[in-house]
Amino acid sequence: MSWELFWLLVEASGLTIVYSAVSIFFGFLLAAAICGADLSGRAAVARPARLFVSFFRGTPLLIQLLLIYYLLPKIGLNVPSEVAAVIGLSFSTASYQAEILRGGFQSVPRGVVEAADMCGLSARATFRRIRLPIAVRLTLPALTSEAIMILKSSSLISVVGVVELTTMAKDLASSTYQPLPIFASAGFIYLVINLVVAGLGLWAERSARRGHA
Amino acid sequence: MTSLLGYLGGEDGRNILSGLVNTCVLWVVGTLLGTVLGFLTAVARRYGPRPIDWLLKACVEVIRGTPFLVQAYLLYFGGPYLCLELGGASACLTLDPFEAGILGLTIYAGAYFSELFRAGFDAIPRGHIEAATTVGLDRWQTLRRIILPEMTMLVLPAMVNMSILLLKETAVLSIISVKELKFQVDIIGNRDYAFVEAFTILALVYWALVELCGRAGRYAEARLSRYRFAHS
Amino acid sequence: MSTVPAIRVRGLVKRFGDVEVLSGIDLDAPRGEVTCLIGPSGSGKSTLLRCIALLEEATDGFIEIDGEPLGFGLGPNGERMRLPQASVRQVRAKIGMVFQQFNLWPHMTALGNVAEALVTVHGMPRAAANAKAMAELDKVGLAARAEHYPSELSGGQQQRVAIARALALEPRIMLFDEPTSSLDPELTGEVLSVMRGLADSGMTMLVVTHEIGFAASVASKIVFLDHGKLLVEGAPGTVFGKPRHPRIEQFLDTYLDRGAAGLL
Ligand SMILES: Nc1ncnc2c1ncn2[C@@H]1O[C@H](COP(=O)(O)OP(=O)(O)OP(=O)(O)O)[C@@H](O)[C@H]1O
Ligand SMILES: [Mg+2]
Repeated sequence: MSWELFWLLVEASGLTIVYSAVSIFFGFLLAAAICGADLSGRAAVARPARLFVSFFRGTPLLIQLLLIYYLLPKIGLNVPSEVAAVIGLSFSTASYQAEILRGGFQSVPRGVVEAADMCGLSARATFRRIRLPIAVRLTLPALTSEAIMILKSSSLISVVGVVELTTMAKDLASSTYQPLPIFASAGFIYLVINLVVAGLGLWAERSARRGHA
Repeated sequence: MTSLLGYLGGEDGRNILSGLVNTCVLWVVGTLLGTVLGFLTAVARRYGPRPIDWLLKACVEVIRGTPFLVQAYLLYFGGPYLCLELGGASACLTLDPFEAGILGLTIYAGAYFSELFRAGFDAIPRGHIEAATTVGLDRWQTLRRIILPEMTMLVLPAMVNMSILLLKETAVLSIISVKELKFQVDIIGNRDYAFVEAFTILALVYWALVELCGRAGRYAEARLSRYRFAHS
Repeated sequence: MSTVPAIRVRGLVKRFGDVEVLSGIDLDAPRGEVTCLIGPSGSGKSTLLRCIALLEEATDGFIEIDGEPLGFGLGPNGERMRLPQASVRQVRAKIGMVFQQFNLWPHMTALGNVAEALVTVHGMPRAAANAKAMAELDKVGLAARAEHYPSELSGGQQQRVAIARALALEPRIMLFDEPTSSLDPELTGEVLSVMRGLADSGMTMLVVTHEIGFAASVASKIVFLDHGKLLVEGAPGTVFGKPRHPRIEQFLDTYLDRGAAGLL
């Protein structure tokens, strides 16, 4: 297998990284909202939040992607397949991140929140300044694993015609008749990306640990 | 609704049913073989020589660090190019989609399960193993009578989750044309231009299976919880 | 007006489910003085303090801070009535609390912990808040540790930061719940001396403590709580002096140590 082919794969992996990063970002925002709704204690918002989490954790991502891809035009939203793919990935990771965050919030020591109460922080300020940052620090390892999960899962967006690393590998494999080295290289590139992400996660944990009682 | 029921009779119904059966076979066999492979890997890494541990660790990291779809592609499309020359004759890893699917799932599950079991081994208090040695159990007896039962309690919830993950991964195998549930429903959806309907139904079926599995897991956990060791 | 106590508790009852933890407490904490709350474990000291801080809602009874009702007041027909959130916040702003477990925010430096509420609650500019926080840390002898995170501080230092954090908000009353109980003996001294200084400056303090020596020398009033009831109250000399109430005798036998015997 030539370097040119390998280079094509590396270029395509840039798209994998972009789609994953965007999905993780939006997924996190959505997850924070879902988690807030779930923990709000108000059934009117907690129920739908829990249903959302249950659905997106309970069904294969592949089917979510296809469903969203075909459903959006039906409800009058004609968006490019890249957008549909990112929506699918975001919803999926949001449901996992929401569960992770919920665990994090439930592990925030009660006394630390009471101290915020005593200092007069409003519920909103307590959430934003105290509970959220502590919960995120507690959940960094799990969030890192989830980021790696999404990087791997992003290989599925090839089914709705989005070009990324796996699509490129598939195309090159069938046009060059060299599936073995090409898929192995694709796997290698995923591995490298994920090792970097894992390293970043460890680094983030270590720098956050300084701020841990 | 009548049209939906129409699908369940006749040819389509038979295809959907066979797809569902295949999905369940892939799921169950993948989980079982994966458990065995994962357990052997964990044991080999724990009791085997250092180089074996390193080698297996590398394998596990590679499998956990790459997408299942790429692994499936590699096995299915790359397999035929993976040949072993033996005295003039050559044998290649040519697999039909279903075989590739089972093999892929087993390897994938094995890697994750091995990590679960390793964590399980580590979570068993050293004192329990020492206690077994003091009353005269040998290594194998200790493993079978003490470590295994205790570890089952510890890793059961994670194993149920892993099994659910595997069920969802089986859908990916439709991409290498394994004739499982998603593959079969997909065909009908394509033929009738009923994509949204097809994928909605698929989602609901998987959701139901996952919920069922989760509930069964929690039930088993509750039933077994009285064997859980007392915390000191 | 001078007769109005800083804290007035009347008929306070607290139940957790069927368990009555406080059974009708009447308590006055005089302004500008230190009141120490002692009693065996499980007697309800923390619960009483947490009710006064409104971290728990009392089942019945009333609490007044500087004569203003806290949490519950009297309705038009003399019935017990929950007060609006705004008034609660206003009255509670007069109270600072220090916990046994310090409860510093782990993701903020010592300075950040002290400055946080100044910025988010009082809307101070960050620079001014930091300056004030620095001054408060200086008062507890920790200016040099301002940039350290809680995990990088000893227990005694953490507790002093927690005291500075409460003081920065200029409370009229300070509540302490066993502030030295999770500290090694050699670290309790530094926290107690900060508290002594605070008492000398005229702060109204209500302190739950097992440090009988501290209580005897600093408090103007000792309150002994047993099984959710206020058993004995009075000046340290009367409470600890002989003849003692048999329960106090028993309690002192259990807790008296750390050279406190000489003070009594
Ligand atoms: N949230 C709660 N739910 C149920 N029971 C509680 C709760 N908080 C406290 N209690 C009970 O109330 C009683 C008094 O507890 P409290 O913490 O006030 O005692 P304390 O005098 O502070 O004891 P210590 O010296 O050990 O701190 C105890 O029996 C305790 O178990
Ligand atoms: Mg207490």
